[in-house]
Amino acid sequence: MRVVIAEDAAMMREGLVRLLTDRGFEVCAAVADADALQSAIAAVVPDVAIIDIRMPPTHTDEGLRAAIDIRRDHPDVGVLVFSQYVETRYATRLLADRPTGVGYLLKDRVADVADFVDALTRVASGGTALDPEVVGHLMRAGQDPAGLASLTPREREVLSLMAEGRSNAGIAAALVITPGVVEKHVANIFAKLGLPSSDSDNRRVLAVLRHVSG
Amino acid sequence: MTSDNGLMTALRAPFTILALRRAVFCVVGVVSAAAILTVPAIVPALGVLILWASGAMSHRPAPVVAPVFLVLFPLTIALLVVLAAPIGRAMGAVHRSLADRLLDVHVDAPPPRRLSKRISAVVSDGPGWRAVGYGLLKVPLAIPEGYGAFCYVFGLVNLSYPVWWPLFRNHPAGTRLGPVWALTPFGTIGARTFAGTFLIAAAGLAMLLVAPWLMRAGTTLDLAAMRRLLGPRRLAERVRELQVSRARAIDDAAAMMRRLERDLHDGAQIRLATLAMNLGMATEKLGVDGPPPDLAQARELVALAHRGAKDALADLRDLVRGIHPPVLDNGLGDALATLATSSAIPVAVNVELPDRPAPAIETIAYFCASELLANAAKHSQATRIGLGVVRSGERLMLTVTDDGIGGANPDGPGLSGLARRIAVVDGRMRVHSPAGGPTRVEIELPTHV
Repeated sequence: MRVVIAEDAAMMREGLVRLLTDRGFEVCAAVADADALQSAIAAVVPDVAIIDIRMPPTHTDEGLRAAIDIRRDHPDVGVLVFSQYVETRYATRLLADRPTGVGYLLKDRVADVADFVDALTRVASGGTALDPEVVGHLMRAGQDPAGLASLTPREREVLSLMAEGRSNAGIAAALVITPGVVEKHVANIFAKLGLPSSDSDNRRVLAVLRHVSG
Repeated sequence: MTSDNGLMTALRAPFTILALRRAVFCVVGVVSAAAILTVPAIVPALGVLILWASGAMSHRPAPVVAPVFLVLFPLTIALLVVLAAPIGRAMGAVHRSLADRLLDVHVDAPPPRRLSKRISAVVSDGPGWRAVGYGLLKVPLAIPEGYGAFCYVFGLVNLSYPVWWPLFRNHPAGTRLGPVWALTPFGTIGARTFAGTFLIAAAGLAMLLVAPWLMRAGTTLDLAAMRRLLGPRRLAERVRELQVSRARAIDDAAAMMRRLERDLHDGAQIRLATLAMNLGMATEKLGVDGPPPDLAQARELVALAHRGAKDALADLRDLVRGIHPPVLDNGLGDALATLATSSAIPVAVNVELPDRPAPAIETIAYFCASELLANAAKHSQATRIGLGVVRSGERLMLTVTDDGIGGANPDGPGLSGLARRIAVVDGRMRVHSPAGGPTRVEIELPTHV
């Protein structure tokens, strides 16, 4: 799998290159700013790009803007946005058109190498990977707390994992329950929130996010 | 001992640069007083000149004289009313700048006039009229100043009589010449003989010794008048100062938070994330149980993580010191001594404080010293730095000197930032840094906020 990395902190960049190379990814380019990222994407058209939100020159949201551009110009390139803190507005901007081939993770998540690699693979193959923190923020910022309030705690856990982009099997593994139980929970959630049920992971994420972020 | 010192000071007083500068200031004062007296007379004098040139004055006053004066008198009054305030301001500016350059006394400028072309705005210009008041006061003030300057200049002249006497008075014996006259404050004295010139010289010496004190009295009175009449009005100025310093304090606090966030984000936070990543990879290399699949790599990653943790600690330590140096808790003396040891250029520290100032003042003084030392290390090419803190009444004086190349710009980002911080607590900063050096920065802070 071909990866491009855009991260201005050299230490982090090198660590990522090492981690991904070790895991069998092909790191085509590792750059430090948005302009270099754009040209690297155009040159190599990777499967997925890991993009730091804050990069030179202004250290605000260069990475996010670059990610949105890349999603527009190269729909096949997965985009994993990477940051040290969660901005709900950034997440909604990133997910605005379609929640496919996109991720928004806290940098802390690299500590759990397997989960991180898993998320990256999901994004590269057109899936979704939202940080639990992002999902939590989106849910809190949601405009229909009454709908969420009617969910049981277990259902809310399942909803969060769904919004993170996990499949039923993934949710079952995470909560240590059987896939059948997960299916039942999912059906309940969709019924309670009044969402059209869907089998595709991405459409499920979309539906949930639409609901929670109004 | 003290009386000896006093005597030496008195004898030396006329021959200091300060005396010369005061003399120049006094002479300029006399000239301006004369000018001020002349100004109201210009228009009538012009009228007289016109009348004289046209021949009207040569006979008995012609009937034309009265109407001309009837026109000129109100014209003079009108011109004075309209022009007095702007002229007063201009003259005030000249005097402030003279005091600044010659006497090294800085009087702040009053707030600028409102930009309006209407006559009423010109006429109702308060600071302008106060400057006019100073102009009028200048006339009596010029008397001691003029007297002092006279004593100084003619004291020197009289002192020189014995020197040039033999050059001009080498006539053949028996030639009878008139006496040579010399000016003193008590009239003229004459000398016919070489010995007589020594009397004149003695008078000159006396004048010269008195002159500095006369000039000092004159300039002191003048400066007091300047502060009251040419400076900004106290309360208005105070309000403006407070508004400005409050706005700056808010800006500074916001900027500091931003800097702190940036430092954490790009420093410790990124180091810790990388550290966590390395430990995560190491955990994988060690496997869940049984013999580790890749022990060598795991060791390398743990070593990397270890180094990362130490770097993160160092980062945090620097950051903490930047927020509030812990050594400052022991007092400014210890803190500055510690600061000095980390300077690349040798620093001589001299802190004389009978008791501790307020913590906020200590912090500001510390950061000023830190910034000034860093500036000196970066730009001055100095070989030694002096760092002094002394208490003077209710004020704390921080002085940083270096023997470098000078040219520090008080309006540059570094020093103006310091000035802003200092202004928040009503402190003041003076920068003397001529091109070629040396540099001397004085910071005056209240001991308590």
